[in-house]
Amino acid sequence: MRAMSGISYYDLRHVTGETTHIDIDNSVVESAGTSFVNVAVLRVLSGHGWGVLQIDNYTPCTGTKFEELLERAGRLSSITEEKVVLGDAPHGILPVPPVKEDPCQVPLEEKSDLLAAIEKGARSPGIVNTRANYIERVEHVHFSDSSGNEYTYRMTRSGFNVLAVASRNGDLQMGYEREHSIHGFNLRHQGGIGEKAAETAIALLDASAPKGGKLRAVLDPELAGVFAHEAVGHASEGDLIHEGNSVLKGRIGEKIGNEILTIVDDPGLCEFGFDPVDAEGVAPIRTEIVRKGMIHAFLHSRESLASVGDGCAGHARAMPGEPPLVRMSNTFIEAGDATEEEIFAECKNGIFLKGSRGGQVDPGRGVFQFNAEYGYLIENGECTRMVRDVSLSGDILSTLHGIVLCGNKRVMSPGYCGKGGQSVPVSDGAPHILLNDAVVGGSGLD
Amino acid sequence: MDWIEQLIREGTKTVDEVEVYYGEGTSVSAELKKKSVHLATNSVDCGLGIRIIHKGRIGSSNTSNPGQWRECLAAAIASAKLATPQPWEGLPAPALLTDVPESFDSSMKIEPECARDLLSRMLEGAEAHPAEVTSGSAGLSRVEVTLANSNGIRYTDRHTDVSLSLEAIHKQSTGYEFDSAWSLSMVDPVAVGERATFFAHSSAEGKEIATGEYDLLLSPLAYAELLGGVFVPALSGRSVHAKRSRLGDFLGKSVACEQVSMYDDPHRPGSGGSVAWDAEGTPTRRTDFIKDGVLQCFAYDLKTAYRYGKASTGSAVRGGSGGLPSIGHHNFVVDGVRSTVDDTRVLYVHTLVGAHTANPLSGDFSVELSNAFWMENGEFTTSVRSAMYSGNVFDLHHGIAGMSKKSRTLGSLILPSIKINKQHIIGK
Repeated sequence: MRAMSGISYYDLRHVTGETTHIDIDNSVVESAGTSFVNVAVLRVLSGHGWGVLQIDNYTPCTGTKFEELLERAGRLSSITEEKVVLGDAPHGILPVPPVKEDPCQVPLEEKSDLLAAIEKGARSPGIVNTRANYIERVEHVHFSDSSGNEYTYRMTRSGFNVLAVASRNGDLQMGYEREHSIHGFNLRHQGGIGEKAAETAIALLDASAPKGGKLRAVLDPELAGVFAHEAVGHASEGDLIHEGNSVLKGRIGEKIGNEILTIVDDPGLCEFGFDPVDAEGVAPIRTEIVRKGMIHAFLHSRESLASVGDGCAGHARAMPGEPPLVRMSNTFIEAGDATEEEIFAECKNGIFLKGSRGGQVDPGRGVFQFNAEYGYLIENGECTRMVRDVSLSGDILSTLHGIVLCGNKRVMSPGYCGKGGQSVPVSDGAPHILLNDAVVGGSGLD
Repeated sequence: MDWIEQLIREGTKTVDEVEVYYGEGTSVSAELKKKSVHLATNSVDCGLGIRIIHKGRIGSSNTSNPGQWRECLAAAIASAKLATPQPWEGLPAPALLTDVPESFDSSMKIEPECARDLLSRMLEGAEAHPAEVTSGSAGLSRVEVTLANSNGIRYTDRHTDVSLSLEAIHKQSTGYEFDSAWSLSMVDPVAVGERATFFAHSSAEGKEIATGEYDLLLSPLAYAELLGGVFVPALSGRSVHAKRSRLGDFLGKSVACEQVSMYDDPHRPGSGGSVAWDAEGTPTRRTDFIKDGVLQCFAYDLKTAYRYGKASTGSAVRGGSGGLPSIGHHNFVVDGVRSTVDDTRVLYVHTLVGAHTANPLSGDFSVELSNAFWMENGEFTTSVRSAMYSGNVFDLHHGIAGMSKKSRTLGSLILPSIKINKQHIIGK
């Protein structure tokens, strides 16, 4: 049947699970509860390109029923023109790290009470709104392909955000804290985190907008991680290289940064972007995108590996029910040997940027932008005046040369990354870094 | 559908009110890698969202499996037990609705061949300028939604959608264009292709710009990126009462230049968001948020309206079939005095990089320009290589110096190009 339809390859990824959420806004439980997901995606190579069937509410089937699905997907691929070749890659699965406390075993009422305590912590004089959200996703994933590979695993991701809004004379500022984890329930022992959000919000009322221009900047680990993600990670994705939509195309072996700079993506690292096996059954692999300042490898799916080369497959990821794309997972700048004190002393006069409000890159043009939550001016090696709404932008091919010091302690931060309409969990990280000639945006005039 | 009747009967045995929102649909899409079709997808979607209200407590759940409705109903009832009770005066009953034509194109075939044809026509358009196509996509979809509640509402609506996009590159310069509408006759794939390669090609030889203050012309796309993430959410009644809106204290006061008006018109002929009832079954009507620069009102759904003693403005929307209702809009229009905005020398900005990093509360932003040009007498002259733009989304509305004669529809936003004088640009 398969041979008759001309199907040379297929894979099926079926995800079932539950999502639990709690939303507490100004001490009111706005909503709390559980929802259900059951989706599958069937990819077929027949003739030329991919035929992809996305199925809501999938019931596993075999025999004639499954062959009908293959036929339907195969018919779709009849309009494709590009011959897709899949590169060889080692299949395999890593163990999912055990959780310290399974969130599913904690009653919803208890979760709600713990979240309410975090939200209450953010209430203090000057704060006009407090909000806390809890989200827990349990996914049972079943992968199988026409080569006989088959993997099943269960992943639980859970965590919370807390927001505090401060107001004075019509000005609104926010403080925001979040913790998301694959290591189990994390709402306990969070005393102080709501208070921290409130302190940031209130302090920002007195912060000023920085003057834009070229400065020396110290980036904290969270923001430096986003820098690695936006400035290098996306542009190293094999599908973009293949399309010709990345300035890193054809630059393997080229120096784009200092000797001290090594940037890695590692889906097997037990951080928020961990996957035990990638979305096409390939074993996760650590890829050094930049090694000692040189472009070393690209991130790949089996398809982009075959068409581009220079790197390894194992970086295909997908939202439940969606076809896999080449994606980052846990992306970081390797630690160096500078102490924090040395970094600030070397900076002498500049700006210290903390936390991330996200970023964006145009990989073809090689231009990126990302935004800090807040920062401080650095004067004579010391942090002085607080600044807000500071962003950084730059050219991929020139900005990385400006990283002149890397701290000795790397920290990872969880988040989500969007591409092609799909959002997947990731983590980014770095040590503190010193960046020369940073292009800082701000509306301040002095 | 019998199971919906059964669900409502079952639910009202134990709770005061039950609401069911069910959608099912199909979609196809085809994607280009360079100039070749590389992937075709077909999806069959369904989503069931259940909301129950009992003694002022609102509970909800959703599933992609309507066969699982009993479990979903039990989860919705369980979720209400945790919710804080609030004033509640009931779900809507059937009402006399305005006759709003469906945004449904019966001639639209949800077939991969149609998607492929759209891609071919975009590629045809792309030939107009010497730039390489990197990727593109075309998608067609059809969905039917049903809203039913224990107060007797049984509404259905059908909707079709076509969307197109193309990306191109020339040297180290990129261009992107897209289009979407509910009817095939309302999109222009050839123009999408032509604009994508035009922007890639014409931005390639960009010149630097010195830091300073400049008169800007923001395209509808660039304006939408700033307006949609910051200004529009600040018009939500929930944000206002939660004290998360910078517009909260400005009812009856000036929030923009006096030639600026903003309204939601759910009955706008031909617009994709037009609908006679909102996501909770409240009859829709035009809501004037800003008239001649003065803030008139905020948007409400039932939950927020009951809680704060207001009336729903029929502004409830859902994010997908299984989604919960929340405050949004249907066809959000920025309107006002139109004029020629490109007769003097201006810096035209097509899109922005990083607009979503704007501070959603204070409105402060600092973003990178993309496809920016000097414009004189309505013509693009030199392109600007790269620069940052810093400002504040709320403040810039006081400085709008003009609005273009033409508007563009971007999803549910219908916007002109806007001219703003003396904006802060940071050169490299």
